[in-house]
Amino acid sequence: MAVGFRATSTGYRAELDAHERRLLSMLCGDVIQLFEGRAEDVMTDSEQDAAEADQAETTGPEDDAAAEDPLFAHFRAELAGLGEDESLEAPEDPVLARLLPDASEDTGEAGQFRRLSEASLREAKIADLRAARMWLESSPIRVREEQAPILGRALNDLRLTLSVRLGIEEESDAEAVHQKAMSSKAKDTESFMAEIYTFITWLQETLFSAMLAHLPDDDGGDT
Amino acid sequence: MSSVQGSTLTSEETDLSTTSLPQRPYQVVVWNDPVNLMSYVSWVFRSYFGHSEARAHELMLQVHHEGRAVVAGGAREKAEKDVTAMHQYGLQATLEESE
Repeated sequence: MAVGFRATSTGYRAELDAHERRLLSMLCGDVIQLFEGRAEDVMTDSEQDAAEADQAETTGPEDDAAAEDPLFAHFRAELAGLGEDESLEAPEDPVLARLLPDASEDTGEAGQFRRLSEASLREAKIADLRAARMWLESSPIRVREEQAPILGRALNDLRLTLSVRLGIEEESDAEAVHQKAMSSKAKDTESFMAEIYTFITWLQETLFSAMLAHLPDDDGGDT
Repeated sequence: MSSVQGSTLTSEETDLSTTSLPQRPYQVVVWNDPVNLMSYVSWVFRSYFGHSEARAHELMLQVHHEGRAVVAGGAREKAEKDVTAMHQYGLQATLEESE
């Protein structure tokens, strides 16, 4: 039986069964794979754009050596991604679109912002998920105070991923998933997913309740 | 926002940010979604932006009831950084020019 997160003198700890840890770790791995797949797609598109730009250009004789040098080709691919008017489209996969959301309601702005920032956001999320996998290797799970937000973000990304797969778009959908997880005895894929979602929700709630209790008190003044 | 376990509203607080702030050309908007937990959102607002408990709770309720809330503002570069940070936390955030 799992025991949720509680504060310790140095951070937080929880106890999870081996199969629970394995499941969460596997999910982290799945989301990492999604991000890596997206990175490859973006890279391929950007290289194609660069190749097209090369073909369109008429190169002078002094550019020939550079044109054949793979290092220059790489730089050109990078620069093609940094052009001011360049933009990157949102991922088609709804899970990736949720995990890497648009930063503006204006499509053009969102595309430019994405071109410049999506790669680092992906890397940051992959790093969170990798760290979470490491902590999930043994029970009790122990994280230091400064590590807790990293684990919290990774758990949140797992919940966001499952929420898209479960079709949670409104508060009522979330409630229906909760009910399904509580009542269902039939082990179809969706009710299993609903159970995992509810489990991670509980785990994250215990972590952040403990973390909130640990934030310094304030006098109500705002900064 | 999901309300598995809502924290209690401790005190009403007057919002001074609309009257006392200097010209702030960009603002960071956080949008409602049914997945992110209230405790989580509250923690992010407090720890990342340094909002007080009451202010964080107020903003969270505004997101929940009105669908969106302006949680920070400032120069474009800072606002962009904040939006990316919110995305790293899994919150739906956008950048917009101040009215």
